[in-house]
Amino acid sequence: MLAIEADALRRTYTSRTGWPRSRRTETEAVRGVTFEVAPGELFGLLGPNGAGKTTTIKMLNTLLLPTSGTARVFGHDVARDPVAVRRRIGYVFGGDRGLYDRLSALDNLRYFAELYGVPAREQKRRIAELLDLVGLAGREKERVEGYSRGMRQRLHIARGLLHHPDVLFLDEPSIGVDPVAARDLRRTVADLAAAGTTVLLTTHYMAEADELCDRIAVIAGGRIRALGAPDSLKSLVRERDVLEIEAYGVDEERLDRVRHVPGVRGVSTEDRGALQTVTVQTGRGASDLHGPVLAALDGVRIGRVTTREPSLEDAYIAIVEETAGPGALGAGAEETAV
Amino acid sequence: MFRFRCRLLGFRFHASSRLLVVGGAISYRALFNWTTPPMFIGTLLVGPLLQVFFFVFLGRELGVADDRFHLVGNAVLAASASCVYGGTMAVANERRYGTLGAVLLSPRRRVPMWLGRALPYVLNGLFVSAFVLTAAALVLGLPVPAGALPGLGLVLFVAAGACSAFGLALGALGLRFRDVFLVSNVASSGLLLLTGAAVPRETLPEWMRAAGELLPLTHAADAARGLTAGAGLDGHLLGAELAVGAGWGLLAVVLLAVFERGSRRRATLDVM
Repeated sequence: MLAIEADALRRTYTSRTGWPRSRRTETEAVRGVTFEVAPGELFGLLGPNGAGKTTTIKMLNTLLLPTSGTARVFGHDVARDPVAVRRRIGYVFGGDRGLYDRLSALDNLRYFAELYGVPAREQKRRIAELLDLVGLAGREKERVEGYSRGMRQRLHIARGLLHHPDVLFLDEPSIGVDPVAARDLRRTVADLAAAGTTVLLTTHYMAEADELCDRIAVIAGGRIRALGAPDSLKSLVRERDVLEIEAYGVDEERLDRVRHVPGVRGVSTEDRGALQTVTVQTGRGASDLHGPVLAALDGVRIGRVTTREPSLEDAYIAIVEETAGPGALGAGAEETAV
Repeated sequence: MFRFRCRLLGFRFHASSRLLVVGGAISYRALFNWTTPPMFIGTLLVGPLLQVFFFVFLGRELGVADDRFHLVGNAVLAASASCVYGGTMAVANERRYGTLGAVLLSPRRRVPMWLGRALPYVLNGLFVSAFVLTAAALVLGLPVPAGALPGLGLVLFVAAGACSAFGLALGALGLRFRDVFLVSNVASSGLLLLTGAAVPRETLPEWMRAAGELLPLTHAADAARGLTAGAGLDGHLLGAELAVGAGWGLLAVVLLAVFERGSRRRATLDVM
């Protein structure tokens, strides 16, 4: 039996604005998502903000009803049998909220142990186990309002695991967490998957997805655009080279100029304070493009320029940019199975 | 087979009782804003006590009603601060902490989960009313027959229960609407005006009197006044207060179920 089956899942949000004559607006957040996750698999759901990741997770964990389509968790329909689904899942989300600040970590876990049906005689042992697992043993009597974001995140994970869920939904668990805490968190997630827990992970950190996930689905515009193992996704951009340029003060106009250089397959930027890293994907062996690309950035201060092999992040950017407009992966392709 | 079923039922009862009592107690500490000693004493004890004095002295000045009417009525009404606002906080503060999603993912039965949240406010309300009644009676010299004390305790307990059920019903609106404390503010003023705890009901228009019949504290205030006057416990008034409380409790459970189901369909909860 599959751990998760999503079949043509759709979700439309309806909102009304204005008074007394209100206007109705419909937004299609998820437009027919289909995928399957095997028991014990660590499955990644990647996509830009607003792509439909969280909505998909909320349908799978029973917080939202699908507008159409079906989903099952270990054979239980998420719409018709939510209680059975809830018994088998845990849900961990990122960010500062989602815990009772005035309570200690211990009391937070005690309360959710009651809510999630952990038998009274097992609660003490289970909570101690989890505090140990997430490295909060010794700090459990402190109020959560004094916790760092990393500690809160670890407490979120402990809460999600209280009732030994078969499936764990991790919605951007490492958001805002420092590198050391993020590494510990990845280790915890990997250990859980190794122990047989099925994990569905959403994240913006490609290195995290690359390190952890058995398979990845890239979702954009409410549809799955690519699905496969990390290496398979990387193979989508194997015929490319990546040019990384450190620059200061690159504006949208110059980026557009780079995009229009013949042979350029994709452009993205990442800001790190005043420094920007411009990543330019080109065809394989297109070293002769360095000149035209740098010429297109004329007028800004350029730092180090390097060429490297494409990474999962490059594959992800290529797939997402393909959604936004015609690109190198084949226009019109709804989903790329790799 | 029969023994197995009995054991299963026993286990379920024990688990539900724990959710009701232990879960309720922890949620009170987690969600009630006035648990710190300064807030508790200031908001729930001193404020209502001053309100008693205000109405008693105003009543003496205007000759609207005697000391007993104002003192006992306002002492019963004192439970409303913790019960109405507490019931609202028990649901609405989940939004504030972003915990609503984690709570709604619980596979447990909703009736013990939500009613457990109201339970601490019943005890809180009982304590507040008893304190205000005792303190005000001692300061203002109102004699209360010793034989009336058990009956008074029962009436105050039922009043606090009915008022907590009312608060929980208002809190249920927190699953659907954001600014639910606005409703609590209006409801508190409504209780002050309509229940007859502070204003004699016979001076109110007919429709206001009818509305008061359906609100918590109305019948309890009358029953408590009768007890302190040595008239004994009025079973009809106590029964009416119980019925009103049960009605609000039922409404709270129905509203919570309807709004939770609706939230899945309409995505009305900012659950994360």
